[in-house]
Amino acid sequence: MPYEEVKVKQPIIFKILAILSLLTFFGVWEFIVDAGIVPSTMLAAPSKVAILFVKKLTQANPDGATLGAHAWMSAKEAVTAYVLAIIVGVPLGLFMGWFKVVRGLARPIFEMIRPIPPIAWIPLCIFWFGIGIWGKVYIIWIAGIVPFTINSWVGVNMTDPALIQMARTYGATDWQIFTKICIPSALPMIFGALQISLAYCWTNLVGAELLAADKGLGFLIEMGRRLAMPEMVVLGMVCVGIGGALIGIVVDVLERRLLAGIRR
Amino acid sequence: MTPKIVCENISKFFIQKGKQRVHVLEDISLEVMNNEFLVILGPGQSGKSTLLRIIAGLETPTQGRVLKDGKEITGPGQDRGLVFQSYMLFFWRTVMGNVEIGLKLRGVEKKERRKIAQHYINLVGLEGFEKHFPHQLSGGMKQRVGIARAYANNPEIMLLDEPFGQLDAQTRMFMEKETERIWQTEKKTVIFVTNNIDEAIYLGDRIVTLKGKLPGRMDAIYDVPLPRPREHTDLEFVELRQMITDKSELVL
Amino acid sequence: MSNTIADEIVHHVKERQPLTIWSVLGNEYFLYCVSFISFLLIWHFIAAAGLLGLATPEATIKEMIRLMSVKLAGKNLFGHIWASSRRILIGFAIGAATGLPLGLFMALNRYVNAIVKPVFDLFKPMPPIAWISISILWFGIGEPSKVFIIVIGSFVPCVLNAYAGIRIIDPELYDVIRVLGGNRRQEIFYVSFPAALPALFAGIQISMSVAWTCVLAAELVSSRSGLGWIIIRGMKLTKPELVLGGMAVIAIVAWIFSAATSGIEKLLCPWKRGIKEL
Repeated sequence: MPYEEVKVKQPIIFKILAILSLLTFFGVWEFIVDAGIVPSTMLAAPSKVAILFVKKLTQANPDGATLGAHAWMSAKEAVTAYVLAIIVGVPLGLFMGWFKVVRGLARPIFEMIRPIPPIAWIPLCIFWFGIGIWGKVYIIWIAGIVPFTINSWVGVNMTDPALIQMARTYGATDWQIFTKICIPSALPMIFGALQISLAYCWTNLVGAELLAADKGLGFLIEMGRRLAMPEMVVLGMVCVGIGGALIGIVVDVLERRLLAGIRR
Repeated sequence: MTPKIVCENISKFFIQKGKQRVHVLEDISLEVMNNEFLVILGPGQSGKSTLLRIIAGLETPTQGRVLKDGKEITGPGQDRGLVFQSYMLFFWRTVMGNVEIGLKLRGVEKKERRKIAQHYINLVGLEGFEKHFPHQLSGGMKQRVGIARAYANNPEIMLLDEPFGQLDAQTRMFMEKETERIWQTEKKTVIFVTNNIDEAIYLGDRIVTLKGKLPGRMDAIYDVPLPRPREHTDLEFVELRQMITDKSELVL
Repeated sequence: MSNTIADEIVHHVKERQPLTIWSVLGNEYFLYCVSFISFLLIWHFIAAAGLLGLATPEATIKEMIRLMSVKLAGKNLFGHIWASSRRILIGFAIGAATGLPLGLFMALNRYVNAIVKPVFDLFKPMPPIAWISISILWFGIGEPSKVFIIVIGSFVPCVLNAYAGIRIIDPELYDVIRVLGGNRRQEIFYVSFPAALPALFAGIQISMSVAWTCVLAAELVSSRSGLGWIIIRGMKLTKPELVLGGMAVIAIVAWIFSAATSGIEKLLCPWKRGIKEL
């Protein structure tokens, strides 16, 4: 379409409103705590959270580890479980989509386990693994595997039947159709699971760490409560939020790269 | 006789992606008579849908103005009914629910609007499908609903934006016949946009052609004096078809 | 007339296949049974061998049946199911009643969006479970703190889906109302709301599953009733049949909740009934 470049004025009011909104939010938060409207045993002012943040960068006390160590622990657990979820979930879903026998055998078990919130596995995990890293990895893995399996399965199911018939007329074997046609056409669906699964993983990571951990961001939050330090609770929540957002961005970039790779 | 619709020197620019100014229409002037079937014929990307949307009042022209009965059009209104290229049926409503929506918006009482809607459902030949949802209908049937919906609102002017562009050739021919039948049953001023030259000659009292490529400009106006119903194989039909093809940049 | 109307007829006639041993073995439903039975058998043998600290399926079922009549902390099994369900229903109702309208407003009004979205985006990446500790600081360990977490958990998906549900509507659908002579209010009532309804239900489904995670986490951390409490009780008493039974009951009840939501959606969105879903 032929066009010429022009400058169009965007209404600046919306940007101003957004900035004002954020400033008001933090202002009100600071004010209600400083003025004593909300007792400081219940909520910490943003300034206090910021101070604690700087302090926790180097100090391990009173909860036993620096902020970096907590974050590293959480990231390690999340990434390990996430990668394991991909390694197991994607092939499982792909096979369930293409091979009737695999589907018939795996589906009932999958459907039985799926409605159980991963958090409910915590007591069993403590039986099995204690409160070490593997118990949490297991819970996060259970959470993360579901989207990968479902999306891979649906992806294979959505393969254009015309493509499969085309391959059959050329005499392709079942296995060839599966690897050369079904898997590639399922890839966009599988990439779609990357974000969903990550969100599940991160939620359940916090849950697992609240209940069974001696290190990690969830543990930091829980320690803040036990020590009656609301600033530590808020700091933990902020770190969880930022961590989740950061990993989300990384996965988003990855997903775009991968999708662009397919289109080419 | 004063014309029903007058377009005076219409030009239109669009802003896309926030900074690209696209020139879509340039200096379009035309008149549409009362109860006339006017066809606007142009290739893809010639701004003809935009012209129709301007007449419908959904877009405002950058320059120029559109008059209806001598009054300037400033926005959409019940006096003009639009049939969309991609049907735009309300997928959450049944055929009856879709056809009666215009009446419902105006607060027509239920019994009355059911009666009117039923009349137009019958007119477009969808009797018995009142309770179906759009996804249960074929493409041709969907557009029948679109036509009935516009008709039921009793507009003075019907605007049809490539209504049969998504149909297969056979259904398309059939729908053209139906359109003519419906128009003959309840005469209205019709502006019909298409990129199909046969469709244009089959339906139009007059044909306005637009030049290809943006911005869309007026090319020529042809009268179609053939008696109705027309036959695609009539000698005059074929001659007129040849003439338009030769003169215009339409590539078929 | 009719020749054009029924231009697509699909025949669903299956070819008759001879009954062979392979067709029986390869039958999906047969395989489901095989899978289910072997799952129970493997579970049984692992448990019977004393591995992994599991209880046998029989013991688990027996324990659950026992709990139907025997009271545990003042409530039988149904009492505990109700305790958890009540928290979810209250929390979810509040979360949806605030989240859905907020999401709709954000999508329909640019000013509301400009004001609310930045703050909402701050909270969005924070998992609802992270609120448990602060919720206890605020509300103590009683009912309100558990309900609060569920409110937070169901609020976010409701807002997101209501917002997205409006945003994905084809703008030309609004043009239909405008050409027919409708006003802005009618555009919202006759297009925005019905067209966004399926997306709202998608949000509600997600909210439900988040709510279950939240209620369990809250009950695991601190409570004296509910299904989460049953499994944590089982852990503390080293009674694996209680843990496994609790998990099974949770799965069943959570499944019923989600099936009920789908049922209501089918009732409210009749146009979706004919469309096959995966």
